[in-house]
Amino acid sequence: MSLFDYTVTLGPALLNGLIETLKLFGMTLLLAVPLGLPIALGNISRFPPFRLLCKLYVWVFRGTPLMLQLFFFYYGLGIIANNTGWLFLRFDRFPAAVLTFTLNYAAYFSEIYRAGIQSIDRGQYEAAKTLGFTRGQTMFRIIIPQTIRRIIPPVSNETITLVKDTALVNVIAVPELLKVAKDAANRDSNAIGYLLAAVAYLIVTLVLTMLYRRLERRFSRHEQEAV
Amino acid sequence: MGYIVEMENITKTYVGVPALNDVTLRVKSGEQVAIIGSSGSGKSTLLRCLNHLELIDSGRVAIDGEVLAETDERGRARYRKDAEIRRLILRTAMVFQHFNLFGHLSCLENITIAPIRIKKEPPAEVRERAMELLRVVGLEQKADAYPGQLSGGQKQRVAIARALAMRPSVLLFDEPTSALDPEVTGEVLRVIRQLAAAGHTMVLVTHEMGFAREVAERIIFMDTARIIEEGPPGQLFDNPGSDRLRTFLQAVI
Repeated sequence: MSLFDYTVTLGPALLNGLIETLKLFGMTLLLAVPLGLPIALGNISRFPPFRLLCKLYVWVFRGTPLMLQLFFFYYGLGIIANNTGWLFLRFDRFPAAVLTFTLNYAAYFSEIYRAGIQSIDRGQYEAAKTLGFTRGQTMFRIIIPQTIRRIIPPVSNETITLVKDTALVNVIAVPELLKVAKDAANRDSNAIGYLLAAVAYLIVTLVLTMLYRRLERRFSRHEQEAV
Repeated sequence: MGYIVEMENITKTYVGVPALNDVTLRVKSGEQVAIIGSSGSGKSTLLRCLNHLELIDSGRVAIDGEVLAETDERGRARYRKDAEIRRLILRTAMVFQHFNLFGHLSCLENITIAPIRIKKEPPAEVRERAMELLRVVGLEQKADAYPGQLSGGQKQRVAIARALAMRPSVLLFDEPTSALDPEVTGEVLRVIRQLAAAGHTMVLVTHEMGFAREVAERIIFMDTARIIEEGPPGQLFDNPGSDRLRTFLQAVI
């Protein structure tokens, strides 16, 4: 069988794996991007209990391995569910993966947002205040819109890391791209599956890189400094 | 009465160092007052205590006859509720040294956002007024430009239009030309001069002595957190009554 024929035979399975990967990636992004904002605001909140809670959250999710979190939310909660009878704690593979990735990436995104918010000049807050804006109005109408351009590069970085991190879920047997490739390689005793998976990852990250570059350009339109 | 600005016996310490030491400033409607003095003399701090950007330790601050803060029986300044403070400081409008325009909004939006979103005025009316103000400051062709595309002088003129759009009782200028290149200082001063001539009440903190002398009816000289001298420009500039003012004037003119 030629390389081409082999690729064609493997194609549908790899494509299914890729779809699974993209599903996990897309759902995580969709949930973690907004979830990061309240955590970021909590981190700079004037209300100490809320601030402490958010700091604790970020510490836990950034300070432990993603793989450990994945094991915990899938196997760990399953065991707890069995021992206590609280069946709502038991998640299927895919929901467990989405939950873990969302909670983990929200922690990283929140830190990016926090840094972005804190990079805005104090004068913006002062001008908003003299114009009668409340703290909340200042944040949502003045500060956050101006952080967007600044946070696109680090968010883009995180997003590309996320694409690759989705491969971790093969350890809880989610049939994503890497798992399909690994199974094919083991079954057929060749490395072509890995190479094809690598190409697929590269294409996805390339498309994302281009999308983010366009987004960045769109948001920096207003910001060229006049000389 | 009849005072737009009443700041009486204002005291403020900043990490143990006096920033304002028993300072009293009253400004009548239609009056233009310039505050001069070296850096660190407390002149910007005084201005910023009026619109709650800085807090006073003791004394009394009132705008348009309404009290913002007043010393209580324990000798500490007591401020009004946040919502009332927000409402009261809308009678002032400040032009900052570094413009502080909102970078994500066009010039027109910079001017209209607060009247529309905060004062809930009819958008069409506000936009019309904003265009008129852009004409006043000579920038109607920049309505849709973003602050990042403007020169410093243009930014400051938009900032002045933004302040005027709030229809304040008093305009506060905090070193409005200190961050500008010398060649664009003139265009900003011209606008301020025009506003002064039109009778706008204003308090101006500045290092431009010639300009202060020209637009202000009253000059206030501050040094080491106190008002040392005040009076009409002719008197202060030509006949300084204190050594400190004489030394200062010799150094800057």
